[in-house]
Amino acid sequence: MRTRRHLGALALALLLATTVQAEPMRRFALVIGNDEGGSDTRPLSYAREDARKMHGLLSRLGGVSLGDARLLLNEEAQDVLTTLSNLEASIKAAQARGERTALLVYYSGHAKDGALRLGVTRLPFDTFKRRLADAPADIRIAILDSCRSGALTRTKGARRAPAFEIDSGATRDARGLVILTSSSADEDSQESDAIGGSYFSHHLSSGLLGDADRSGDGQVTLFEAYSHAYARTVADTAASSAGPQHPTFSYDLAGNGDLVITSLRASEGLVVPRTAPVGAYYFVNPGGLVVAELEKAPDTERRVALAPGTYRVKRRMEDRLRIGEVEVRRGQETVLEESRLRDAPFSDDPVKGARGRGSFWTAGLTGGYHSFFNRSIRETLFLSVPMLGAEANLHNYFREDWVWSFDVALGGRAAMLNLESLTGASYRYSALHLGTSLTTEWHVGDLAPFAGARLTYLYMGRKFDGAVFPDQFYSTFSPGLVAGLRYRLLRSLHLTGRGRIHYLTYNVHEQGAANPNSSLGFWELAALVTYEL
Amino acid sequence: MRNLWPALLCLLAACGGNFSNEDLEYLNALPSREALASKLPGTDTSSGSGLAQRRDRLVVGDISQLYIDTRKASADFNASLDSLLGLLENIRTVPPTTREPDRRTWGPWPDRNQPGHQVRFLMDRAGDSFDYRLQFKPSAAGEEAWWSFLEGSFKADAGIRVGEGELHLFIDDAVAQGLNVGGLRGLKQLDVGYQNKALPTRVEMIFSAQPTPPLTTATQVRYNYRELPGGLGEMRFLLTDTDAVPGNLREDVEITSRWTPNSGGVATFVILQGDLLGASYRECWDAQNKVTFAKRSWELFGIGKGSDCPDLSGFDG
Repeated sequence: MRTRRHLGALALALLLATTVQAEPMRRFALVIGNDEGGSDTRPLSYAREDARKMHGLLSRLGGVSLGDARLLLNEEAQDVLTTLSNLEASIKAAQARGERTALLVYYSGHAKDGALRLGVTRLPFDTFKRRLADAPADIRIAILDSCRSGALTRTKGARRAPAFEIDSGATRDARGLVILTSSSADEDSQESDAIGGSYFSHHLSSGLLGDADRSGDGQVTLFEAYSHAYARTVADTAASSAGPQHPTFSYDLAGNGDLVITSLRASEGLVVPRTAPVGAYYFVNPGGLVVAELEKAPDTERRVALAPGTYRVKRRMEDRLRIGEVEVRRGQETVLEESRLRDAPFSDDPVKGARGRGSFWTAGLTGGYHSFFNRSIRETLFLSVPMLGAEANLHNYFREDWVWSFDVALGGRAAMLNLESLTGASYRYSALHLGTSLTTEWHVGDLAPFAGARLTYLYMGRKFDGAVFPDQFYSTFSPGLVAGLRYRLLRSLHLTGRGRIHYLTYNVHEQGAANPNSSLGFWELAALVTYEL
Repeated sequence: MRNLWPALLCLLAACGGNFSNEDLEYLNALPSREALASKLPGTDTSSGSGLAQRRDRLVVGDISQLYIDTRKASADFNASLDSLLGLLENIRTVPPTTREPDRRTWGPWPDRNQPGHQVRFLMDRAGDSFDYRLQFKPSAAGEEAWWSFLEGSFKADAGIRVGEGELHLFIDDAVAQGLNVGGLRGLKQLDVGYQNKALPTRVEMIFSAQPTPPLTTATQVRYNYRELPGGLGEMRFLLTDTDAVPGNLREDVEITSRWTPNSGGVATFVILQGDLLGASYRECWDAQNKVTFAKRSWELFGIGKGSDCPDLSGFDG
């Protein structure tokens, strides 16, 4: 397999190495991001964000003017086709003026069952591919970051994707068409909270910012970007639970040569000088996300086309980090000086991930029912009551998929005493629960079953109408177990069904007598709507 | 061991309480003023002052003097209940100190109103029958020194304080034990019996007074109150040493008043002692408490018409 991979890379490199595109070319871009993929898919977290990044990168470094770039976020299939038609009209107009043209379509979102999933709508691969093939641009590039997107580059008949898939046979009928996909035909494309995006798009973007410019000529070609994204995506996903993810590349650039996607020799950005120490550099934005990476080789100057702003720079060493801060000014080249970096322990890693070390809060409202197991108790003492409450949940604080919850619930109802020697006294029964739970959850698509332990402080009281008897109350701590199922309705909105069982000690009884009601248990069933903050 | 953690946590927070059905059943055995009080119409809205002025000649339309006497008797009756049942009020406000099988105990506590004494309240239960005792003892004395100032019993019949009961206040014992009984000092004993599980309800109150020299026997004052269906009520009571009829002597008079909820009432009195011994008098009043008919036993005709008296046939059943 390794031999095949190397041969494929070598063949393509030889083919393209001498044909780097330098001729002026007007570029058009259609950038699509959609987190939703319909009812049988789990919403993505970063598809739209990846699209925004790519749109910004192409506009800033890719030679695409803002007027020739379209950004579609969470739009439907028909919107995509309509926008594509509009761009095609612009392309034809440019060609009529004698301009060479290139069309780049980037898609980040769901793909399943042979179609791109745009919310509840679908855009079949065949339709999409045919539209690209028929597009009037001289070069058409499609970059698809979606599950099983490799099916778009696959030739007829199923076959397993090679470790380094370069397919030059799929597009013989469509010269000038290039298709990059984030995964092969039978793989999922994976996102990462740590990088705040998909692996493929992150490494593609990082490569286009400069890390893929292994030649050091200040330009990143399509093949350089793909090669870089491929290597880093496979490496980063190799140990993931979903398994390694293999991007694919399908090309037919005959007569067109390789295409420069980004030019790093703009008048601004960051320069890592020849004398800088070798190693892996990470450039972290103020939000704690890595926006670009750079593998510095000895005696080479490298450029990273960072947008103006302040970044924390991290270089990872065997026993420590070297970290520092650098400000990239608009219209200026900034040189990264090693003296700006200082030693730091690994605990000071500036990379926080998309949600601050992965933890985040949700808040919600509950409605449920609470009842004791013992029939006599629930009918005459601690009544069965509906409960309304609120809760806050801290996710991933102690560890991944652990949830620490704090909740309060109130319930009550009017009732009438019905005892052996006393009936007819009406009263208002109230219950207050203050609790905390620690649960662990398992994600299965949009569903997340969970289970755990909890502790509740209970206050139960009753107030008699007309004050015919004194007010009564009982309060105690009660340990319990909780289990349930959480369903992700929307990206930030969850619906949960939950059950709890609790134990409590009741000690308002006669001394010196066996009391069967000393140890009591109760259950609760509740529905919960939570919003991710 | 399984209760260890909740118990430890409860040391750090407010745990426990008084939530108990059994306690309610015990408390239900204690009589309340509302359950036993006389409910004479108008007693909560009108005042008797100024209405008791006797005129030389009674005419139809005057305020009924017997209604006024009845209202005063009803007020005295309720005030006596208040002072008696007030002794039990504190018991309702605090949970029992000790819960034992078929017994609840409040206290013992030092009694701030009776320096040098401790007080406790015991309630025993046998099925739906309850006995209770308010007891005192000198603070320094042993358990054998407890004595009962108040004793009572109650047989529950479901409902809120519905049943049959009695209670007794032993005032002469309290005085002998050195207790400060305040305004009760002139009494020897106070006994109350009641039944309110079914109409007609009954409350009987007997005041036994200390003998007044030169008399050597205790005198008694009895109040009997009944409440019948439809808001009908009856109060039978004794007025002593009153100037009921012209003459040199003052009279003891037994008055029986019966009233309706909204159409007046009828009272009769019989002179038990004094001038005109054995004579009787009947007076009817309307909803405004004004006389509609009055007739003395020695008169051939009274004033007004007997047919204007309210219908009290409900008492005949």
